[in-house]
Amino acid sequence: MIGLLSIAIFLPAVLAAPTYLLGRKNPKLAKVMGVGTTAIVFAISILILAVFQYGQPGFQLSETYPWAASFGLNYKVAVDGISLPLLMIATFLSLLSAAGSWDQITFRHAEYYALFLIFETGIIGVFTSLNLILFYLFWEIVLIPMFFFIGIWGGPRRRYASLKFLIFTYSGSAVMLFGFLALYAWAGTSAYPGGPSFDYDVLAARIPSLALPLQLVVAITTFFGFAVKLPIFPLHTWLPDAHVEAPAPVSVLLAGLLLKMGGYGLIRYNLLLFPKAVSVLWPYFTTIGLITMVYGASVALVAKDIKRMIALTSVSHMGYVLLGAFTATVAGVSGAVFQMFSHGLAVGMLFLMSGYIHEHTGTRNIDELKGLRGKMPQTVTLLFLASMAAMAVPGFANFISEYLVIQGALSVSYLFAIAIVAPSLTVGYFLWMLRRVAMTPGIGPKNEPHLHSILILVAFLVPLLIFGVYPPPILGSVITPTVEKWIGTIIALGAK
Amino acid sequence: MALLSLTPFLSLAVFGLLATPAGFLRFRKSKLGLAPFVCILGLAIALVSTVWLGFTSPSPVSFGGLQVDLFTLFFSGVLLIVAIFVTVASLQNMREDPNKGPFFGLLLLSTLGMIVLAASMDLILLYVAWELMSIPTYALTAFRKKDPNSNEAAMKFFVLSALSSALIVYAISLVFGITGSTGLTAIASSLSTAGPDVRPFGVLAIVLFIVGFGVKMAVVPFHMWIPDAFEGAPVTIGAFLASGAKMAAFAAAFRVFIVGIFAFNVDFYSTFAIVAVVTMSVGNVAALMQKSFTRLLAYSSIAQAGYILMALATPFTTTSVPLGLAGGLFHVLNYAILKTAAFIAAAAVATKLSVTDLDSFNGLSRRMPQTSLSIAVIFLGLAGVPPLNGFFSKVMLFTGSIYSPYSWGGYLALAALINSGFSMSYYGWVIKRMYFDEPGDESRIPEPRIYMVVLWAATILIFVIGLYPDPWIRLVQSAAAALVGSRGS
Repeated sequence: MIGLLSIAIFLPAVLAAPTYLLGRKNPKLAKVMGVGTTAIVFAISILILAVFQYGQPGFQLSETYPWAASFGLNYKVAVDGISLPLLMIATFLSLLSAAGSWDQITFRHAEYYALFLIFETGIIGVFTSLNLILFYLFWEIVLIPMFFFIGIWGGPRRRYASLKFLIFTYSGSAVMLFGFLALYAWAGTSAYPGGPSFDYDVLAARIPSLALPLQLVVAITTFFGFAVKLPIFPLHTWLPDAHVEAPAPVSVLLAGLLLKMGGYGLIRYNLLLFPKAVSVLWPYFTTIGLITMVYGASVALVAKDIKRMIALTSVSHMGYVLLGAFTATVAGVSGAVFQMFSHGLAVGMLFLMSGYIHEHTGTRNIDELKGLRGKMPQTVTLLFLASMAAMAVPGFANFISEYLVIQGALSVSYLFAIAIVAPSLTVGYFLWMLRRVAMTPGIGPKNEPHLHSILILVAFLVPLLIFGVYPPPILGSVITPTVEKWIGTIIALGAK
Repeated sequence: MALLSLTPFLSLAVFGLLATPAGFLRFRKSKLGLAPFVCILGLAIALVSTVWLGFTSPSPVSFGGLQVDLFTLFFSGVLLIVAIFVTVASLQNMREDPNKGPFFGLLLLSTLGMIVLAASMDLILLYVAWELMSIPTYALTAFRKKDPNSNEAAMKFFVLSALSSALIVYAISLVFGITGSTGLTAIASSLSTAGPDVRPFGVLAIVLFIVGFGVKMAVVPFHMWIPDAFEGAPVTIGAFLASGAKMAAFAAAFRVFIVGIFAFNVDFYSTFAIVAVVTMSVGNVAALMQKSFTRLLAYSSIAQAGYILMALATPFTTTSVPLGLAGGLFHVLNYAILKTAAFIAAAAVATKLSVTDLDSFNGLSRRMPQTSLSIAVIFLGLAGVPPLNGFFSKVMLFTGSIYSPYSWGGYLALAALINSGFSMSYYGWVIKRMYFDEPGDESRIPEPRIYMVVLWAATILIFVIGLYPDPWIRLVQSAAAALVGSRGS
């Protein structure tokens, strides 16, 4: 019997072929099938929410099938409190992004939606798989559609941006794969009964007895792969280019989901698997996180293009994830997971909005977008709300996540008080942007996006506000129990 | 009943000899054009009997120096698949050619040489098979006798190839001088007790073997002929050389080194490791600088040879699973499919555009959608993107290297993975040209149906192996075990 998770993973990929074949002659049908499939998958994820046992820290809805047993590979998927929030934003953002693509993608619809569905399979697979090779497989499946999204449907410099994206992330994953293979070999010698394995649980049990230098090699190489995706400060240069060139709905996927793959990988495969290595490496990793936070925010301050600015806020906000994760405290890690959830929604909304603004004003240059309040009053209202979310104003989920990250960091060392620079800069550039875009007098006729576009934007706000005001349903009953269990385990195994 | 094991060989020999006269058969003054069908029939019988033998009698059957075991049958299957793809594609390519008979006859005889090469346990037989494989390919490379490029390619290929044959003969004579035998198992038992006085000769023989096989395997620095030969030869013959002859040379190297020379206490593993790293790095860097599609394929095939060489660079004890060796064999299979298909795709582009420079690939997805899609899949497979077939073989090769008892095993794997990541830059670049760039000319180009059949078959195979690798992994594991088992006691 195929479980809910497998259906959610493979349904989009299975429907990708008919979407392409039927949609080639009839673009409308391609749109309907694309959006319809993402809606069905979102419904399945709601069903997963319904059967998920809250407060349980372990893996649930687990499915295991033999795949390539001759090579220690099995097909294993499950969710726990860390992956469930990410699974939910994956299905939710896919739905909203597919709906947002309805107007914003104007040609080659069949190809677009077919690739979109393959992307969705990949992203759900990344967040649920519990086998290193299976994880890598889904990780790479995400890459290829994204390459085509940017390259075919992107802006003027799309060719450069797409190839840069592909080479950066693929090289990062190659190094990450080395870590996985080395782990398979080193934790699969005859000293370990049961033979070599890529299974997450098996490896988690074996790694504590692995020698520290080997742990360090694997932790650093896998960190490299995740860090390119996250991205961290010196490896982030593909991101602004990719975001600026990608069409707005694809930017939603890119910032909302693709970056979260890096954050999820860091927590699941780096922090939780290598407690001893983490106890050596955490000062470096958290410092990189701190630098990324401040760097991203500083560069966003001077960005001219509104999309580039939002892209750089993502860099900054992903720094919080890195910082929170490697504090290895319950607050920090819970904050990091929650930050991925809330940032995905906030930044997704901002990106989609930037697409609407570009479509209706013909520019994304902040200085040229004068007096938007008069021209697009509803959009500007939503822009204020989304900016408040990204600024982490209390009442939005982002406040709670960033608060938790900084609380976790401060509980480790008072030096992390420097982290407070980043939120202040964030408030600064958002307010400055809003002043220039919305508060200046402008002239021009009213030119508002369709009601359905506005509704899509509002949909992003709903979970942000609900969980911002009342976080326990996601934090206390989903994320924290799992994080508490894992942190307890890794501290017992020698993390710090 | 043991004679049944010879069916693949006999079928190729008989039909290979029949194909040439069949090409000249006339009926009422018009040629019947039977040669290609004789050729396909011979290959089909050989392939079916190979598969049947693999399932029914996996235990080795030996006829003197010729040994039919799972290793032989594995290579026989791979090479026959390549030969079938090449033959079918040549139906299109050779449509206008008046000399179909010799073309297909030579193709079959060369294939026979390749599979005998994989089966040979005796150095003399190995040499005969080597020449049976090589000589027809010179003629096939020069088959467009009025085309100066084809002639130049054949000349270059012939001179280097003849040199490599000479070196192999010299190596064989040295080994015979040391051990007094040409059989690989006897050589192994004699070498394991060889004294220090013969050591210099043994080392010389190993070097000569590496160079001799290295020319055909196109490892750096013996790779110079490959780009010219692939560019000048008829495109389907390019596929045959790149996937057939090259893989057969790997079969010979596997046999000689793993069954025979391993017993000699010389560290040739490190040599192969260095050659592997240099080969893949040079191949990948040079591929990035190419302006012609076939030359790009040639350099990418050099890089891929570097990955396969890692199988020879990872020693293993008899107790552990020879993972690296199994991965090497798996990569032989995957590479053969990918590369044949890539050359046939190049042939499809060349038929209408008559050039294969990379600029003509701009916007190709709008002009030849099926060809472009298969090239994209093939290139992602060559780069090792899951869930395509190239991924799992690379994973096995690299993991095998990490398992190596040498401390440099991990560095070798890391170097290979970085190379693999780097190779995406030119594979992605071609995909970018096909899908993102604007074509100079929007007109649709008809895609020859025969090529499309082969390309779709290959593309489906690429996905099938990649999505469900289990049976294939078990196949290569038992082929690797058979190779190790043929060492004798």
